[in-house]
Amino acid sequence: MKQIQMTKNLSFSLISTNKIIQMNNVWTSYDSKNFALEGINLSIDRGTNYAIVGQSGSGKSTLLKLMNGMMIPSKGTIKIDYVTPNMNNKKFKKMMHTIGYIPQSLGLVKNITVLENILLGALPRLNKIQSLFNKFPEHEIKEAIKIITQVGLTGKENRKAHMLSGGEKRRVAIARALMQKPTILLADEIVSELDHVTSREIMDLISEAQKRMNLTAIMVHHDIQLALEYANRVAVIKEGQKILEIGVEGDTIVDFQTGDMNTEEILEMYTDDSKK
Amino acid sequence: MTPKNNIIIGIIIALLVVASYNVDANPIEFVEGLPNLAIVVDEMIQVEPKYIPTALWAMFETIQMAFIGTIVGVAIALPLSMLAARNLNSKYVYAPIRALLAATRTFPSILWALLFVIMVGLGPFAGVLAIIMYTIGFIAKLQYEVIETIDSDPMDAISSIGVSKFQLIHYVAIPESASHLLSQMLYMFDYNVRQTSILGLVGAGGIGFYIINYIKFFEYGKAAIFMIVVLATVLIIDWVSVKIRDKYIIKSQHGMEVTTK
Repeated sequence: MKQIQMTKNLSFSLISTNKIIQMNNVWTSYDSKNFALEGINLSIDRGTNYAIVGQSGSGKSTLLKLMNGMMIPSKGTIKIDYVTPNMNNKKFKKMMHTIGYIPQSLGLVKNITVLENILLGALPRLNKIQSLFNKFPEHEIKEAIKIITQVGLTGKENRKAHMLSGGEKRRVAIARALMQKPTILLADEIVSELDHVTSREIMDLISEAQKRMNLTAIMVHHDIQLALEYANRVAVIKEGQKILEIGVEGDTIVDFQTGDMNTEEILEMYTDDSKK
Repeated sequence: MTPKNNIIIGIIIALLVVASYNVDANPIEFVEGLPNLAIVVDEMIQVEPKYIPTALWAMFETIQMAFIGTIVGVAIALPLSMLAARNLNSKYVYAPIRALLAATRTFPSILWALLFVIMVGLGPFAGVLAIIMYTIGFIAKLQYEVIETIDSDPMDAISSIGVSKFQLIHYVAIPESASHLLSQMLYMFDYNVRQTSILGLVGAGGIGFYIINYIKFFEYGKAAIFMIVVLATVLIIDWVSVKIRDKYIIKSQHGMEVTTK
């Protein structure tokens, strides 16, 4: 019995060292002259809580859209689980079912209830007849109720989405993503515009779900302090280029680009950057 | 007043005079004709109350025609509006559908009624078909315009889950555009009741049939009863739709205002 457990753990650790996301020299442009991203290299391990930090316009949101196939790079290669992300690729479209994406605007449907919004995450699992008659199976509704409890929205199942507070709306968006039974969770500035306490609550919620479901979470922030607090790894993007990538383990920080540095030096570096 | 404004006003007045001359619009004739109006009004005042039940029944028929026309028209218009929305379809789908819808709107409902009278004969059914046609063209246009202005954020967020086109329409586009639909349906019903009231002119049923016949035989007193019933009905429908709108639509907009940052 113990041995089986150990083998399981072993195989688990083998999977967890897999690279789930790989970007090689990725460039994107909206027109032929201006590049949003300029030669980005990223490689993200399965199960990592990854943070991307940058100022607005640095290209960090573009990075997320590339990962879920909403955008295609003009140069370079991206692999998500060894598949190139592209909405029109059938194989990747199946993978999109388990990539939770929370845009900065959250993308909730305003006129429907919290429960209905969360059930949208289960849409790919519905067959044609079920979606025609708007009939979600009993176990999906149970699952949604379970997730509602997890994200702390109990009692608000039947509220319309536009009646919620900012923090509650974010909880709905997270629940919708969790309803997808995701392997990857992408979130774009999910706690910007929130007060300090609510930010921590939302971050704790995601961080807890990430650990429990062994998700690969990739979160975009503009606050490096928040990123360092929650992420295993932080990449700093500036003007479309990755200027820094650091690993965080408790209080120790390892720099993967410029060798060993301590926390203060890195933070100071970034703070200087943001002042310019 | 700048000199430029004076020139523009001068041009508009000149055009007004030329156009009036061309269509024989003569204010003097209008004034001379006023005594005739007095005769009509005088005869109209001599209403014959015994026709009230007939008038009410004719009005009830008219409302039923408008009701069927509105409901069936909207039911056909909704799927067409989904096909005509530019943000949901390719050019090859929406362009022909839009052309078709524009064609149905080109004719006013009275011309459709004439056409259907030839097709299915005199009576209310021709009127119902005419109302359906006009409603399709009108509601589909209003609705595809609403769909095109809905927030692209939920559409993007849900399509990034990898759902089908049908699911995207069913679960995002329809709920996002639904609040406008109720108000458009109320407006359309209101409009259709007024439209159906005149379809009788071409023999397509409804209360207009009585009005036109009594006027033809100079029985203004009888016509007046029917006209008063139309007026009262339109006022009541207007009042009821305002109540419904207040209850369901204004409220949801307030909700949105509160949460907008």
